[in-house]
Amino acid sequence: MVENRPFGNALAHFILIAGVIVIVFPVYMAFVASTWDAATIANGKLGLVPGPHLVENYTRILFEGTGGTTRAHVATMLLNSTISAVIIAVGKIAISLISAYAIVYFRFPFRMAAFWLIFLTLMFPVEVRIYPTYKIVADLGLLDTYTGLSVPLIASATATLLFRQFFMTVPDELLEAAKIDAAGPIRFFKDVLLPLSRTNIAALFVILFIYGWNQYLWPLLITTRDDMQTIVIGIKKIVAVQDALTEWQLAMATAVLAMLPPVLVVVLMQKLFVKGLVETEK
Amino acid sequence: MASVLLDQVVKTYPGGFTAVKGVSFAVPDGGFCVLVGPSGCGKSTLLRMIAGLEAISDGAVSIGDRVVNKVEPMDRDIAMVFQNYALYPHMSVYDNMAYGLRNLKTPEPEILARVGEAAKILELNDEMLKRKPRQLSGGQRQRVAMGRAIVRKPAVFLFDEPLSNLDAKLRVQMRIEIRKLQRRLKTTSIYVTHDQLEAMTLADMLVVMNAGRVEQVGAPLELYERPASVFVAGFLGSPPMNFLDGVIEKPGLVRLSDGGELAYDHAHFGPPLGAEVKAGVRPERVTFARDGAGLPFTLELVEELGLGQLAHGRLAGADFTVALPAAHNAPSGEAQHLAIPLDAVHLFDRKTGARL
Repeated sequence: MVENRPFGNALAHFILIAGVIVIVFPVYMAFVASTWDAATIANGKLGLVPGPHLVENYTRILFEGTGGTTRAHVATMLLNSTISAVIIAVGKIAISLISAYAIVYFRFPFRMAAFWLIFLTLMFPVEVRIYPTYKIVADLGLLDTYTGLSVPLIASATATLLFRQFFMTVPDELLEAAKIDAAGPIRFFKDVLLPLSRTNIAALFVILFIYGWNQYLWPLLITTRDDMQTIVIGIKKIVAVQDALTEWQLAMATAVLAMLPPVLVVVLMQKLFVKGLVETEK
Repeated sequence: MASVLLDQVVKTYPGGFTAVKGVSFAVPDGGFCVLVGPSGCGKSTLLRMIAGLEAISDGAVSIGDRVVNKVEPMDRDIAMVFQNYALYPHMSVYDNMAYGLRNLKTPEPEILARVGEAAKILELNDEMLKRKPRQLSGGQRQRVAMGRAIVRKPAVFLFDEPLSNLDAKLRVQMRIEIRKLQRRLKTTSIYVTHDQLEAMTLADMLVVMNAGRVEQVGAPLELYERPASVFVAGFLGSPPMNFLDGVIEKPGLVRLSDGGELAYDHAHFGPPLGAEVKAGVRPERVTFARDGAGLPFTLELVEELGLGQLAHGRLAGADFTVALPAAHNAPSGEAQHLAIPLDAVHLFDRKTGARL
């Protein structure tokens, strides 16, 4: 539909730009705050222009750490967060793909029971099963490990359901053609289903990476060592200092750094992500 | 190369529905067999049982000399062309055709040669081989689907309504190409369709199915000229055969329900006197009688086909169609008389539908 409505366009742009400002302004302020020294922020003299301490603040937070309750530097935290978020995202996708494949394409006893069991777990978020999960992880000696950080968050009903729905839309004839083309179950999965699920996988990866990155409660419970902390917890610990001024410029620098990897993932996978949400390639 | 033999094949679904009720026929080596029938008659199910995509509930399917009831589809030495083509959407045309061969561990140079050969037969150029299926037109996709079957050099080709997604013009063209291709490759083929015209033109051997059973097996013309039942008679031919109810009054004469007299060849039909029959007459065997003799016919509508004309009306209380060649002009005026030659009349039992 091609329409020429100058007023309508201007209004739409105004609303959208206003929305962008509302979202971007706090982020910008966090960035500005991260470029001044502690005294300026504490005295409430923070303006709208970045200050002279950018390099100093970021080097300090990345490689030296703060005098707060955590002594780990942010580079380690970033690494921890990245590793666990990637394991969570990849693990969830791998498990969901396989379980959805089993549920959709194989006839085995209690198939529907298995499906409903998976479905039921949707109703128990991490918070609800946190005590038993913690007990198991602790008994297995997985506290303060990447395994402990990621594995309990991997089993995922949402992703399984999503792939199940997608697999059910794949025409049966493709499976039959593959059967006649001498492709066994594993070949069919690898050569046909996986490539067809490409965009879905990308979309899920973005969502799950951010889900893993933003985990707070679970990492808080099972990490005790500073060098196993994730960045989301790091921010909290940098803010909470005892008997001293919070070094807000460092907290803000950490927040800005914590935002970058998810943004990077979204930007890099944007094309596939949007495709996965709107397009069905069949 | 192989013959296909079906022996009392039955398909019963878990719910208890029997889709195929004991079907037997044999397709000779190199033959082109067409399974035809209305939707739901079990023809596709039967084909899928031959392919190994459906389990066989009872009876036996043999390909070559081997009973294949328990053999996996990939080991049956068959290739199948699906109604919606079932091309792998993410693979190039070349990869689509090569996929089966790669799975069979065929050496790459041979794959290249075989795909090249198939592409040449089907007139797919190199540029097309690099494309994805979605960038092809319906007819081209159909060719690729056939190419995928050809490269396998199977003993049997199976076609499941391969032309029904194409437009009418392309359907005729592809029909001819399939026939030429089969003549050239001499591969045993089994083809399922609900289109009687496609069936008539393609088949060496026609199997008409109805409600899970075989109605008649034979050469297309044989079935057309000597249909074994009312069903076959009505199914083959377009426009379909006309049917008139009547009673046998004396050898060679049917008394129609409105009192009219229809003569038949009693050398070919031997129904008992007084039998209630359905008399079948093909529209193209009837002509208008100019001199007022023959059966009274009420003309209602004339359809111009270009190739000829169809005159629709009523005869002896039933709908009746007359097909006229192009040179003839349909007479005007409602009240007409029709001349029906002796040998154009088929007689069927009114209750069982069987040829008498």
